[in-house]
This record gives sequence, structure tokens and C-alpha cells, in this order.
Amino acid sequence: MTATRPKKPKPAPSRTAPSTSRAKQSRDALRVYRAEPDTRPENPLREGTRLERIPAPCIVVVFGATGDLAQRKILPAIYNLRRAGLLPPESVVLGFSRRAMTDDEYRDFAKKAVSEHSRVTVEEGMWDHFAEGLHYQQGEFGDPPDFRGLEERLEQIDAEQSTHGNRLYYLATPPAAYTDIVSNLGKVGLDRQREGWARIVIEKPFGHDLESARALNDAVMHVFEESQVYRIDHYLGKETVRNLLVFRFGNGIFEPLWNRRYVDHVQITVGEDLGIEGRGEFYEDAGASRDIVQNHMLQLLSLVAMEPPIAFEADALRDEKVRVLRAIDPVWTEARVRAQVVRGQYTAGWSADHKVPGYRQEAEVDPESRVETFVALKLEVQNWRWADVPFYLRTGKRLPKRATEIAIQFKQPPLMLFREATTHPEANLLAMRIQPDEGILLRFAAKVPELGLDVRSVNMDFTYGSSFSRDAPEAYETLILDAMLGDASLFTRADEVEAAWGIVSPVIDTWREWDHEVATGTQPTREDREGTLADVDGGEGICFYEAGTWGPEAADKLIEHDGRRWRRL
Amino acid sequence: MTAPAAERIEVATTRWHARASSISETVQQLARIWGTAAEAEDASHANAGDDASASPSKIKGRMRTSVLTLVVIAQRPETAERAMAIVNALASRHPSRAIVVSPGDPDGPTTFDAHIYAACHLSPTSHAEVCTEEIFIKTGGELSQHLSTAIAPLLIHDLPVVLWWPDDPPFRSRHYHDLAEMADGLLVDSGSFRDDGRLGLRGMLDTMTAGNTVHDIGWARLTLWRELLASLFDHPLLIHELPGVRHLRIDVAKPGTTMRIAKAACFAGWLAAQLGWTVSRPIQEAPHGDRLVAELLAGRRIIPVEFRPIQAGSGSNVPGTGSLMRVEMELVRGRAQTRARVTRQADHLLATADWNGAQVARRAGTLEPFEETPFLAEALDRTSGDRVFEMALGKAVELVGLSP
Repeated sequence: MTATRPKKPKPAPSRTAPSTSRAKQSRDALRVYRAEPDTRPENPLREGTRLERIPAPCIVVVFGATGDLAQRKILPAIYNLRRAGLLPPESVVLGFSRRAMTDDEYRDFAKKAVSEHSRVTVEEGMWDHFAEGLHYQQGEFGDPPDFRGLEERLEQIDAEQSTHGNRLYYLATPPAAYTDIVSNLGKVGLDRQREGWARIVIEKPFGHDLESARALNDAVMHVFEESQVYRIDHYLGKETVRNLLVFRFGNGIFEPLWNRRYVDHVQITVGEDLGIEGRGEFYEDAGASRDIVQNHMLQLLSLVAMEPPIAFEADALRDEKVRVLRAIDPVWTEARVRAQVVRGQYTAGWSADHKVPGYRQEAEVDPESRVETFVALKLEVQNWRWADVPFYLRTGKRLPKRATEIAIQFKQPPLMLFREATTHPEANLLAMRIQPDEGILLRFAAKVPELGLDVRSVNMDFTYGSSFSRDAPEAYETLILDAMLGDASLFTRADEVEAAWGIVSPVIDTWREWDHEVATGTQPTREDREGTLADVDGGEGICFYEAGTWGPEAADKLIEHDGRRWRRL
Repeated sequence: MTAPAAERIEVATTRWHARASSISETVQQLARIWGTAAEAEDASHANAGDDASASPSKIKGRMRTSVLTLVVIAQRPETAERAMAIVNALASRHPSRAIVVSPGDPDGPTTFDAHIYAACHLSPTSHAEVCTEEIFIKTGGELSQHLSTAIAPLLIHDLPVVLWWPDDPPFRSRHYHDLAEMADGLLVDSGSFRDDGRLGLRGMLDTMTAGNTVHDIGWARLTLWRELLASLFDHPLLIHELPGVRHLRIDVAKPGTTMRIAKAACFAGWLAAQLGWTVSRPIQEAPHGDRLVAELLAGRRIIPVEFRPIQAGSGSNVPGTGSLMRVEMELVRGRAQTRARVTRQADHLLATADWNGAQVARRAGTLEPFEETPFLAEALDRTSGDRVFEMALGKAVELVGLSP
């Protein structure tokens, strides 16, 4: 085949695993993690009251308490939960950070943060109640004595506030600090669940590739049990994502159609009209594959493709999700990457009504950067339900609009009966819009009311907004509450993380190899790439697209090669 | 290319009004309104220069996304006004067709007069348009006793029908029965049941047994009481005491001559249902004083129950007659003695638990203002039955000695 080429001897970048061992590596990734259900004594009087959704009093220890995430998301979310009466009044928030601050200073700091970022305005009286349970402890993440100080402080709060030893450790720090915090928590025995529970919330990214994800999981699991670990991906806390489950498993008519017999292919789009919005440094390290594909898109894919879980319960749900990811072939030969993955980067152009710079011109971005702002790829879920049904995924920055959608494209009717019809009707389509305007659209053929017999596609469009108009809670509120209640359904289990990296990591590794070749001038010649998608990329292994368009031409070729088209959104 | 935002907002809220003097005319007027609405929508699309030619399927009629039909029977003119105001307030949250019927004098001439209001407005949370209808019907004469046939043609097919009866419904009448049969859910307020409320409890239970879901605003007002009492037993020390209840006393506000016991009975019924008690002796007047006493049975242990009237309330915060003032439970296990109580204090409730004389738990909660809107909203949210209420009501009816 044209895509194969002689391997030139070269120093491989350190992260790259030799391709022969990839299969083995991904088989190793099939480690199984199960969370044990939480048991607490039943209180029969709680049934049917909101109390069923009110967790036991606990101390939330926020590591990185002065950081951006704490300010923008965590503190406002906890305050709003408290305001909505969903947290018991004894609840305590203990900030832990490097910066020297008194409790009172931290309260002022938190008040400012919450006032700025909360979806509802802060009421003075309510705030004062909340602030009473707000404390601060200074400490270094890497310093065991500081953790002993933390332990003493926690015990002191337990004694004063009857929080009964329940602790929720929230890692809102840069990922680099995760292992230090976890091991220090372990050293002073704060992972142990004696009187109450101890749980740890870890923010994404969970690792940088398969290797680092496994290292992180190992480090965490060295100290905590899987049942204590809550890996938060705020995307899963969104109302719509849970709607997806209700739509699939709360309705009887769709499930029979949900398979290779009726479905031609599935398209998942996560489009953003924004650029990188000043987060150049972060994005240079991440790229769309780490930022969106590994977590959000593969989550959506597994929710769409999963088998019905035996119960709407954390492990049953996650067992099915992880099974989908394992049914995706993790072996990426270079030819497969060339044929099924498109890497793109935006250049200067127009976004809506203003001119925007290209990615390489953004602040904190290497002017020679080869980081992808767009990824389109084709995946196949190799199981009985989905064999031969391709899943086309695309995501990008600076696309024409913000749109997250899953489209189930059904097969063409077997026979076109209406011969005199001037146009062929399109195949049926079921689209689930995640954002904005969450809703569900079904497209089917209808006769145009005339004497002749013209057939045209019409849309039946349901928007949640017009049937239920009310505020949905913030994703962080839902998830923090779930963690306190011990419901891990919407959190990512270790094996899910690893399975997802098992799919994405090899692709990134291949790109790194190409980048290395470009940097050292050893990339293959044009003839080598002929007939592949890389043909249109100008020889760089990365395809450029103008800001404000739906990605590079190669992305269109990727799907048109199979005789299909991207949906127009 | 893109339409000016202002233009869109101008067409954002649209209202229609029509009047009809018969049911068929009402149906016609509704059809006419939605016909006009669809045209207006098409026109606005055309004006906006939307990308319509490229994608014909984008033109869509104005959608009346209803989730239910709400039928309100307002026996008194002031109830009708209040109901209209509440329905209006809830319109955007619960897109529905609301039919408010105000039946007039059954002995007068038969009359029918309907006002039809429709409105479409942009929902604040999404860009979708929410359309609602309200039909206000005044009837007179014999028709007032046959409302179910008058309302039937106005129900939206396939959607649930909720019947809201703000005053005391005549549970035993055929008139009520026909309307309840037409509906899927019933919303009443046991606080407005006449006399001591016992017959009302039975009426709700019968409606429930007939297959309707029943929402009771009176029960909903007990939520905070239940939550506070329940939260006391979340305490790790007290959860083990819960099976050892020895005595239950409920103080009920009684400003007038009759003691309304619907709420107290529901509360006691709730405890009985959740804790697995049976009724061994229904309520009766105590030999001394105006207390009511009953006996519940936990296994073989008798739990005396007391409803005590309290001539409470002065100033601005007078609790309605039949409102709970205090709930007190005594519990014994081995040598441990526990006293759990929830007490009404002006606008809030205070719950405390003493364990061998020392206070171990204390909770407070603010009572909702005396309004129906949030309760109606909740009843419309939950079209399915409330299992806990069903069980509590069953026990309550037994407790008041009216079991079927």
C-alpha cells in the first residue's frame, strides 16, 4: 500500500511506545475496577422527602482553594447547594492552599469569588450562614507535616461541627500536584474511613496519555479504594447528557432501531465557535484530542452505543460504557491513522462578524505549533450491535457555530416506490442536540400537498426549552452533590479513563512521530502519501482550515470516501 | 444575513384573545388562533430573511408544546380570580391548556360564556418559544352540574388532565365523580375541607383507589415538618432509637369550634406507614378535655396518640385552623430515653432531639409563605403518584375511623 514506508532510524520521542507493543499495552489496559456500594443506616422517615437528596454533613477540603477552578466553579456550586437547602447546615468547607490567609480573609476571598461567578446573586443573610462553615488552612501540597496539621484541623472541626468524620477531598489544583496530595493524605491516614466516609474528587485531565493516566490511577489507588474516587468530568453532569440516557432507555420505540440493522452511521459533533480564549499555554499542551476527544466525545460515544445497563446504578452503567470503549480497536497502525483521523489547525479568518487570528498567532502559542485545534475521526465499535456502523467524530475550535450534537443516520428505505417524485427523500435522521437549545429532532419524509407526488423531508423538532422552562442546575452542583451522596454514576471510573486513553493515546503518539520527522526534515515524500488523507495537508501531517469554516477539506474527504456526508449544522 | 435582534424580540411575545358563547365556538376560536399564529411565524421567518430557501424544512409552525391540560373548578368567584392569577404565574413554567370553570347558580337559566386567551413568548432559558392557552368559562343553570361533558371537547388529546379543585370538593356527588373520572390527577387542599376534614380524607382515598393520582396541598405543607423530624434521626446516635417510639402527640391550631384534623391525621398516618405501625383504636374524644386520642400498634407495643387543640396565634402570624403547632415523640430503648420534637415558632419550625436529657440535634427551617403557587407547580411537576402520601393517607383514613 502507498501508506507504508520504510522506517528510518530515528530517536523516538520518549512518550512513544513502539507500535508492536501497543496491542499488548491496550490489553493491559483492560484492568477492571469496581466500586463497592456505600452502606449507611436506613432512616425510613426520609423516603419521598428532599432529604433523600441531602447528604450527611461533611467537610469539603478544597486543595487549591485560591485557584481559578475553586473561584469560578467549586465555591459558587457549594454555596448554591447550601442556598437551595441541599446541604445540611453543619457542612464545612476547608480551603487548603499555599497562600497565607486567615479564616476571615478566606471568607472575604470566597465571597468575592462567589459574587462574581454564581448564577444567582448572593444574599447577605444566607452568605453569613455559609461563611460560618468556611475555614482556611495554609499548607504545601508536598509537605507531610502540613498534612498532619490538616488532619488535626479536621478532627477539631469534626468535634465542633458534628461532621462525623465525613470528608470530601477536592483536588482543584494543577494535575502536577495530584500525586503529592494523594500520597500525603495517605501518609497521615486521611484516606481511612473510620467513623464516616472519605472520598476524593479528581478533576480532569486524568493523565496526559495512557501511561500517565495509569500512573495516576496507580498512585491514587495506592492510597484510596476505587469506591472512594470520584473523577469529575463536568460534561457528564450536564442535564442533557442524562437526558440522553432517559431518551434511550425511558422510551420503548427507539431501542429496537438502535443497531446495525437500521442505523447507517452515527455522527458526533462538538463544535465551538470560540478560539482558545487566552488559554494558549494550556492548549499547547492539550490540543483537541486531549481536551475534547479523550473525555467528552468518547463519553458521548459510549452513552450512545452502550447496551442497556442492568440498573441505573453507578457500576452497572459504567460497566456498559467501558465495554463500548473496549470494543473499539486500540491498535493504530500508521496507515490507519492516515486513513481515519484528520488533524487540523485553524488559520486566520472570520468568526461570525469579526476577524480573528490563526492559532499560531494566538498568545502563548508557538508560531510553528503543530497542536491540533480540530480532530475528525472514524471509529468502529466492534460488537454485535454496531459492527460495520461507522461512528464519525469531529470537534474543533473556531467552527462556524457552537453546537454539540449526536446524529443517528438511519439507512435508506430499501426501495424507492415514488418514481415520479423529483427528489429522493433523505434517509431518516434522529439528532440529539446537547447544546445549545437541547432537544431532539426526527427527520422523515412527507408528501408535498399538491396534485403530483413530491416527497420532501420534514423535521419534527422537540426542544426541552419549550416543554420545561426552568433553570437546570449547574453541572458542578449536580456532581458535587452526587459525590457527597456517594452516587458515582456520573463520574468516570479508572478503567474508563484508561480505555479512552487506550484509543486516543496511540494516535497522538503517531502524530508526535510525524512532528519529529517534520522537525528533523525526515518526513516522507509526496509520493508516499498519495491517495491518503494527508495528501491535502501540504505535507505537514496537519491540515489547516480557515477560522469560521467546518474544518479542513480532509475532514470532508474522510467521510465522503465512504459515500457519506457531514450533517450541515 | 442575520436578522436584527430587535426585530426578533418584537415578535417574541404575542397574545390573542377571543370570546365564545358555546363549546363548538370555543373550539373554532382556538383553531383560528393557532392558524393566525402559524401565519405570523411564517411571515416573521420571511421578513427575517432566514436561510429558508436553502432548507425548506426549517420553516416550522408555531408550536404549542403543551405538557398537560389543567382544569380548575372554581366554585366561588374569588376562587376563580385567584386560580387565574396562579395559572398565569405558572404558564411559562408549565406550558399547558388551562381551563378555569366558574359554575354559576344551578337554578338559573343555562348559560355559557368563554374567554380564550393565548400567548406565545420566548422562554428566558432557551431560544424556544413557549405557547400557552387559558380558557375562562362561566356557566349557569343545569350545565353547571354537567361540566364534564362541557370540558371534554376542550381537552388536548393524549396529554394528562389535572383537575384542581381549590375549594372543598363534593367528593360524594356524581358531579365530582364525572369530573374526576375524566382527569388523571386531582389537586386539592385538605386544609379547606369542611368540618373536621375526615370525610375529605376518605374522599381523597376513594379518588386514589379509583386510579387517580392525588396531590394535596395540605400534605405538601407538611413537607418541612416531615423533613425536620426525619433529619433528627439522621444523627448516628438517634437512628437506632427510631424503632422505639412510645408516645406521639400532635398539637393542632384550633381557633374556632371544630378541630380540623386532616393534617394531624396525615402526619400520624405517615409515621405509621413509614415505621410499620397499625391502627388498633381509631381516634375518639378523650374522657377529659377536648383532646382526641387513638392507639397505634408497633408489633405488640401500643403507642398512644394524642391530638391536642391549641388556641394559638395572635398578631400577624395566625396559623390556619388545623395547622400543626408541635409534634412530639417519646422514644425508649433500653435505658436510653429520647424526646424528638418539631415546634412551630412564628414563621419557622424548630426541631430538637434530647437523648437522656441532653440535646443532641437541632434543626430549623423556614416555612413557605401561605401561597398555593409553589404547591400547584409541584403537583404539575409530579404527574405520577406520591407513594409516601398514598400510604400515609391510607393509614390516616384508618386512624380517623373511616376505613373502607
